[in-house]
This record gives sequence, structure tokens and C-alpha cells, in this order.
Amino acid sequence: MAEFEPKIIAFCCNWCTYAAADIAGTSRIHYPANVRIVRVMCSGMVDPIYILKAFEMGADGVLIAGCHEADCHYLNGPLKCDAMFEKIKRVVNILGLEGERLRREMIAAAEAPVFAELIEEMVKQLKKLGPSPLREGVKV
Amino acid sequence: MGFGDELIHDRELFSCLSCYACSNLCPSDVDYPVFTQKVRNLASGEGEHGDCAHSGTLLSIMRLTSRSDIKQKRLDWLDGLHTSEKSEVLYFAGCAPYFEPVFEDIEVSPVNIARNSIKVLNALGIEPMVLPNERCCGHDLLWTGDVETFKKLAQFNAQMIKESGAKKIVFSCPEGYRTFKLDYPNYVDLGCDVQHVSELLAEKIGQNGVKFKEIKKKVTYQDPCRLGRHLGIYEPPREIIKAIPGIELVEMEHSGDESICCGTSVWTNCSSYSKQIREERLLEARATGADMLITACPKCQIHFKCAMVDKGAEKGPDIKMEVMDLVNLVANAMET
Amino acid sequence: MEEIKTGVYICHCGLNIAGTVNVEEVARYAGTLPNVVVARDYRYMCSDPGQALIKDDIKNLGLNRVVVASCSPRMHEPTFRRACQDAGLNPYLFEHANIREHCSWVHDDRQIATEKAKDLVRAAVRRVFYNEPLEIKERPLNPNVLVVGGGIAGIQAALDIANGEHRVYLVEKEPAIGGHMAQLDRTFPTLDCSECILTPKMTEVGQHPFITLLAYSEVEEVAGSVGNFKVRVKKKARYVDEEKCTGCGVCEEKCPWKVDSEYEVGMGKRGVVYVPFAQAIPHVATIDKERCVYFLKGKCRACEKFCDAKAIDFEQKDEIVELEVGSIILTTGYDVFDSRRIPQYGYGRYDNVLTGLEFERMTCAAGPTGGKVLLKDGRQPESVAIIHCVGSRDENYHEYCSRVCCMYALKYAHLIKENTQAEVYQMYIDMRCFGEGFEEFYRRVCDEGVNFIRGKVAKVTDVALTEGEQGKLAVIAEDTLLGGIIRVPVDMVILCPALEARFGAEDVAKLFTINRRADGFFMERHVKLDPVATATEGVYIAGCCEGPKDIPDTVAQASAAAAKALSVISRGRVVIEPTTAQVNEVLCQACGRCEEICDFHAPKVISKDGLRVSSVDAALCKGCGACAVVCPTGAMSVRHSTREQINGMVEALLEV
Repeated sequence: MAEFEPKIIAFCCNWCTYAAADIAGTSRIHYPANVRIVRVMCSGMVDPIYILKAFEMGADGVLIAGCHEADCHYLNGPLKCDAMFEKIKRVVNILGLEGERLRREMIAAAEAPVFAELIEEMVKQLKKLGPSPLREGVKV
Repeated sequence: MGFGDELIHDRELFSCLSCYACSNLCPSDVDYPVFTQKVRNLASGEGEHGDCAHSGTLLSIMRLTSRSDIKQKRLDWLDGLHTSEKSEVLYFAGCAPYFEPVFEDIEVSPVNIARNSIKVLNALGIEPMVLPNERCCGHDLLWTGDVETFKKLAQFNAQMIKESGAKKIVFSCPEGYRTFKLDYPNYVDLGCDVQHVSELLAEKIGQNGVKFKEIKKKVTYQDPCRLGRHLGIYEPPREIIKAIPGIELVEMEHSGDESICCGTSVWTNCSSYSKQIREERLLEARATGADMLITACPKCQIHFKCAMVDKGAEKGPDIKMEVMDLVNLVANAMET
Repeated sequence: MEEIKTGVYICHCGLNIAGTVNVEEVARYAGTLPNVVVARDYRYMCSDPGQALIKDDIKNLGLNRVVVASCSPRMHEPTFRRACQDAGLNPYLFEHANIREHCSWVHDDRQIATEKAKDLVRAAVRRVFYNEPLEIKERPLNPNVLVVGGGIAGIQAALDIANGEHRVYLVEKEPAIGGHMAQLDRTFPTLDCSECILTPKMTEVGQHPFITLLAYSEVEEVAGSVGNFKVRVKKKARYVDEEKCTGCGVCEEKCPWKVDSEYEVGMGKRGVVYVPFAQAIPHVATIDKERCVYFLKGKCRACEKFCDAKAIDFEQKDEIVELEVGSIILTTGYDVFDSRRIPQYGYGRYDNVLTGLEFERMTCAAGPTGGKVLLKDGRQPESVAIIHCVGSRDENYHEYCSRVCCMYALKYAHLIKENTQAEVYQMYIDMRCFGEGFEEFYRRVCDEGVNFIRGKVAKVTDVALTEGEQGKLAVIAEDTLLGGIIRVPVDMVILCPALEARFGAEDVAKLFTINRRADGFFMERHVKLDPVATATEGVYIAGCCEGPKDIPDTVAQASAAAAKALSVISRGRVVIEPTTAQVNEVLCQACGRCEEICDFHAPKVISKDGLRVSSVDAALCKGCGACAVVCPTGAMSVRHSTREQINGMVEALLEV
């Protein structure tokens, strides 16, 4: 049987982490292909439904990544994202989801290697954990 | 049934509160809410879902509890309470653990209602079971037309309850109660009795020598639609309130089977109209001169408190009022 | 609903993509997706022939959605949006899949990369299904500019704009412009006279045909947004007719009541009716109503009797002036830290402990001592200590460095040396001499025989421990270079108090809806790349209201702010990006959560046809989407980042 390949959805803010992923590309920094990036304008725009929707659809891990606090294009987006994240984290904990499956990171545009390392690390962790307990015959 | 597209794709299909106020008036006994439920099932098959409040997160959580392999961590709140692994009575906590973080900002604590329910049961000499991997009752999914997931949840719950050996399930949420009592029998066999905590309390007050301390308050009571018009339970909550010394119960202009709904249901099509209904209801409650609005449904409380949020610079009418769950009131009165 | 016809274009980018991704296979796959009517692959989609493919298909096949899978949208999204627009398709009906930076360049397995590219294309096809045509709107713009604060920053900004022949309203709350700079004696490191360089600029402001000076006035209310602000200004009553007053000064001379002069920081007196200083602009008198005996007791009117111009008007009332401007520059300056807050330095208790500003007035030839450095008893000091960082670089007061003190402290040392025989001690933490000519000036003062003691002063006391300290002030400090406690007996102590945010800066920030940093100063849009813009489009900041700085930096920043305002003016219109928040009024419950969370004050709960609903000012909205996340009913959404679009992508990415 082929090795389990986790699926990761990464919501990346346009100004920082999406740009970091772009630079990872330009610099040819390789990382596992398990991640699919969804561009959002600000991490503070990530609605909890996007996270739950990803798990409903069978994601094994979800990453929300955007600017560091001081870099936000919209002043306080990261703080707003943190507030949302705290709430939804508590919800998915009750659902029995392991902490490693939902992550919140701040990655600046210049931190392409950090982005690549993070994906490496997440894939490694998720392979160890196996498929998400929330995965099943998917219904939208 | 041969419906036209217009009906299935009409936004207003998801506006019905299934409050049963219409059936109360209908001379021909049309069960409009159940009719709506069936049409929503067809619409849901076409990908229609109305306008989801809270971006649909609550319905999503409910769907996620139907996943076979989940191992929920939903019992943190039981700390310090008396429950039992084997008991004839099972307390169904429902959505409380999930609602807790979501509604913290409007200061509603469904977990507190659940804790107080257990405290009250303990005071009546009952140490209930609480299931560690209890699934959502499915009420909101059924009423938004997702019958398939509803069935799955019903089956999970029925099986777990059978295995538990419970003889009676007690609810503090009228929606779970209604669902188990009226909807589950269409799909699963529970093989046990169900009861709302207010019925149980009304039955047992006096029997166990439960003493209430005096609470000097004037209160009014909101009949939750599911408890009232759906199941005809109007008196038990009132009997309990009246049993607390010092409390004066006053009725609103509309009460009992004429009671007005808390304005929104199943996290769908919550709109300016829903707000208006709640505003009017809260003004009615304030007009009684009561200090507090008592309700027997956590969702009524959520909806009323949400309606009071007024963070803009330009303020709306003052509709602020203390809202408390019946169970919390009873638990307060039991404290010595 | 119109049928959705999507065209999908897979770019080879030479071998950049095609080297790793099987582009033909991805194109074939795209052709099988719902609503896709054509799918092609091409060597370079961004080239003219590549773009022509899209344009032709839009025209010939009636495409109403376009997806290009190529490089990052941060690179070529504008290119393809323009191509769509050229072919008559709304540019927001285009969607970009990033299969180069996020795929072919970071993976090497051809099969895995191809599968990922298919996923990304599928997500873009799903998203574009939900895209809506959006319109870029423009609004006419009012070219007038409001400058608030008439110190050197405001003066410079006002002159820059007015010299471009645009109307400037300069509002100053004091009776005259000039600010702190008008109180300074000489400016470091060149030692040119502050007044001599400032006065011509003040005069120019007073006479400029494009500057309307509203002195003794305060902004009361600001509404609207960039291009179209409406501002209410209260012109406080001077009880002197500005038109008639010649500024001759007879009234002040005849006024029987004398009070401390603000301009002389309490070291000199002025009349209750007064012209603040000799070069004041506008050069007219003002009656200090709070202290005028006529207003207090109903009798006197001496000034009125002696005024030949008949300018005194006790009946004058505050006047409201309504202004319409397109941009606003805030140059509201700073306050000087109150040295009494550090009681151990003895300011206010010991006669010969002065603040920097008091010393400035003392060395000024037109000042209260005629430019002589004198002790309270009229003697010349034999020794002077200058204490740096009073309230600056101090966790108990302000953590920041006030940036100007080291340099003016050096200037004081030089002036003392020039005018007296006194021994001078600099008690400093670090010497920070970073500007043009600063280090050279530091050297020069060192060579003049000034003593430098590195250490923070603990205390100033008049309790003498030795004979040498008798009748003197002992300055106690730890000399961190020698590693011991020292006591320096001196005749005079000059404190260098911190520059701090203005009292009331919070109210000003609220009035103009801008933010403040933790240190209380106004916050710039971006600390490095947007230093004079603020959170509110069209509101700029310059000078010490943004943080402590010296005159050259202040002037440079003021010119930068003026350039920002001029750039808005020369564009001639306000362009409103369409990717802003929108309200579904049926769903909105007017709870105001959106209003509370927005840092740009775009959504506001308003009454509309008798109903309360949230309304978004598109000119203020930046499209960050925070409001949509906190909206409980789904009434709020952001155009081009809707829940349908993002949920759709998530679903599409995971459904296989």
C-alpha cells in the first residue's frame, strides 16, 4: 500500500505568506506537494467556516498563515485572526482533532525558507498522525 | 410532488421559524412547519441552504459530529459534578460544549446550563450518565433539509443510548427533546423515555425535600416554541418558577400558545426581520416590569442576547434585559 | 441566470512550467470541468499572441469567465485582467491559478506536480464561477487642504501646497503661529538664530494668497473621506477685531494686569490683552478672557479706551467656520515633559534648576534676561550641569529617546562657554549625534573643555556634604565610566525634558480617525515605507506629532506630507477600489460588530428609511474582510473575497 499522503489546505495572506510561498518558488526551495494554498487578502479575513469546511471535505491539516503583527497591510489583521483562531481551535479540540492539524503561523514575505520548513514539518507530523478523524465519505 | 423551481429556489423557504404559530391559527390543521421541512429536504438536494448565520459554522460542527471515527473531548465541564457510569437516567448535553466558545462574546454559557442541570438532578437524588461521544441531536440539520446526516446522527445516538442501558433521557434543550421525542421514532428505536428537565423538576419538587431560598425578583417567562407549541409543555416551567419563594411571575402580552418566537431558528436566514421580532418581544418583556426574562431554551437565550448587541455609535432602542435559563434560576434558588 | 462559459489557459512558461508539469494533460483535464467551454495550453500566455488567444475566445466563443494557470497572480494578474477588459470582459471575471511559483518550481516529481496543477486549476475554475463583475468607481475631489497646527511643520506643509497654487486652510489653536520653534534661541548644530529663519516663513504664510490662516481656532468635527472631507472649525473669540487691530501694542501697555507669558515660559510677563511675541503672525492682540478683569468683574475696559483703531470688541462671539477639503495634514506638535514629575531633580523647588526651554529664553537676546545666563540672584553661574534624558529613555516615564536633547545640550554647553566662565558638566546616558554636522559639533564642544559624565543622574540636592557644596546644588550620579557614585557641586542645573505626545492627542486621533502608538504619538501607515500616511486615506502626519524629531527632519516630513496631498490633488479624482465590503441590508441587524472591529471606520450603523442598518463608506474600506468574519448573520461580505468564492475553492481542492 502506498504511503499515506496528507492533504493540507493553507490560507495565506496575499501580502506576506503568499508572497513567501512565491519567493520559495523563485528560489526553487522545494517542499512536499501535499499543500494547496488558498490566497486571502488578510489573515483576518479567514472565516472559521473555511477551516471547518476544509476538515469536512477531508483535509488532514489546515494552516492559517499571514503577516507578523507589525507588518499587516491592514494594521491589525493578525490580531483579529488570532481572536477567531482561539475560538475555532477550542471547537475543533472538542471534536477530538489533534492540535497539530490546525495551525496558525506568521510568516513574512522574506521568510520563504520558513514557509518551506513549516510545510515539511506539518507533512511529517500528519503522516505520523494518519488521516483526520473528521474525514469520511464527503458531503457538502 | 412536482414542485416548481420557484419554490425550491426561493430564499424565503428558509425563513420559516417552524414556531407553529400558524398551525395554532389554521382552521384546516395544516402542518406548515413539517411541509416546510420536506420542501427544504428537496431544496437541500439542489444545493440550496438559505443564508447561513455564523457563516454556517454551527451547521458544519453538527455535520462533523456525524463522522464515524471522531473521539470527542466534550466532557471537561463535568468536573466536580456527580455523574455515574451506569444509571437509569441519561443527561443529553447536546451542543452546549460547542456553543460555549462561539457565544462567549455575548455572555451566554450553555455549559453553565448543562452544569446546573446536573446539579439540579443531583439535588433530586439522581446521578445521571453523560455520554462521552454523544453526537449532535440533528435538529438543525433535519430542519434545514439535511435528512441524510440527520439519520446518521440518530443512528449513532440510538445505538449509544441502547448500549448505555438508560431508561430515561433528560434534556435541558427543548430542541433535542423535541427531536428525540417526535423525530427519532421515524428513523430509530430508542427504547427509552424522554423528558425535559422542567417536567422532571415539576414532578419531583417537594418529593425530595428540595428547599428553595427566597429570590426577590419579578420575572416573566418565554415559552420556547419547541417546548410550548410543539409539545404542549406550558405549565411545568411556570409551576417551578412559582415554587421559588419571593418570585413574582408576570405574563407578557403574548404568552402560552400565543407566545412569540425568539425570532430565528436553525442558524439560517437570521435577518433584520428576526431582529425586529426579538426587539418587539424584548420590549414586551420589559413592559411587564419584570427584572428578568426566564427561558427554558439555551437558543432563546442566545438569540435574545445577540439581539441586544449594539456596538455602533448610533444606538438603537433600549432592549437590554437580563435573560436567564430556568435551570440556572432553579440552581441559584437551591444554593444554600 | 446567464450560462457560465469559462475559458482555461495553461501556460508552459517555456520549460519553467512545462518542464515539470504535463501542461497538455492539465489542459485536457480542465476541458472536462463543469462550465469550461475551451481549454488550451500555450508557450507564453503573457506574450501578445498568448493574450490574443484569450481575447479571441472571449469574442468568438462568448466566454464570460477566464482562468489562466501560469505564474503568481502577484506577477501577471493585472496583465490578464487588462486582456479581459480589452476584449470587453469585466476584469474581475478573471481568475489566476499559480502553477509556477506554487507548483512547478517547488516540486520535481512530474506526476505529483501535474496532479497538483490540476487541483489548482479546478479550484480556480470553481472560484471564477462565483466571481462577479465589479466596477471601479471614481469620485470628484476637492483640491483644498487643511493643515492643523501652525508650528514649523504646519508652516512648511502649508507653504509647499500653497506655492503649488492650491488653497490651504491653516488652523492654529494658539493666537499666533510659530509653535515651539518660535521660542528657541539658536538651532543646532549651525547655531543660526531660530527666529531669523522662521520669521520670513511665518510672514509668507500671513501674506500668502493661497493660505487662509485660522489662528486661535480649533477643529471641532470632521466628516467624510479622502477627497471630500467636511470640517467644522471653531474660531475662538479674541475680543479684538482682527481686521482693525494694527498690533501696535498700546492695549497691552495700558492693561493694568500682568500675567506670566506662555511664550517666555513663565520667565516674563504679558498683559491680559496681548500680542504673544514681537514677530507674531497674525500680528494682532487677543484678550485672555479667563483672566481679564472686565470679564471677571465687569469693570476696567482700559484697553478699549486707549485703542485708536477701535479694535477691542467685548461682544465678539466664537465663530463656526465650515470648510471643505480633500486632504488633511496634521502637524499638532508635542508637549514638553513636566519635569516636576521627577521630584528628585528638584525642578520647581530649587531656583536654579531650569528646563531647556527656560534656558532657551534666557540666552535669547530678546528674552527676559537680555540674553545673559544668570542665576536667580543675578549672579553669573560658575558651574552648570546639564542633565540629559529627563523622562526619556526611562521605563518609568517614556522608553523612547527624544532625539533632540543631546544636540541642544551640546548647544547649551557651547553658549554657556561663550557667555560665561562657568565649568560645564554634561550628565548623559549615551551621546547620540547622528545628523548632518552633529558629530562635528560634538567634537567642537568637547574641545571647548566641557566635562562629559556618563551616567544617569539620581538626584539634585541643596544639602551640602562638603564645604565645596555650600550654597550650591549637588548633582548625584553614577559615573559608569569610572564606576562610582559622584557628587558634582554646581550653581545651575539645566534639565533636558522629554518631548511627549500632546495632551489631548487621543481626542485629536479620534477626531481624524487615526491611530496612536503605545507611546501616544500618532501612528504612521507603515513605519518604513509609508511614514507620513495614516490609517485614514487622505490624512497625513508630519513633525513631532508623529514622534520627537529635530527641525530638519520635521521640515522634510512636512514636505513629504505636502507631496502626498499634492499627489492626491494632481490625480484630480478619488479612485475607489471595488474590492470593498458590502452589506446585505435584509440580513443586517445593525449590531455594530463591523463598526467596532474596523480600524478604518468604514462601516457605520445608520438610519435608512427608518431602519437601522450598517453602511460601508467604500472610500474608507480597504477590503481586509475583518467585518465579514464578525458579522453573525452573513450580512457583511467583501467583494471578490466572498464566502462562496473561498468555500468553493476549498471544496474544489479537496473533492477529488
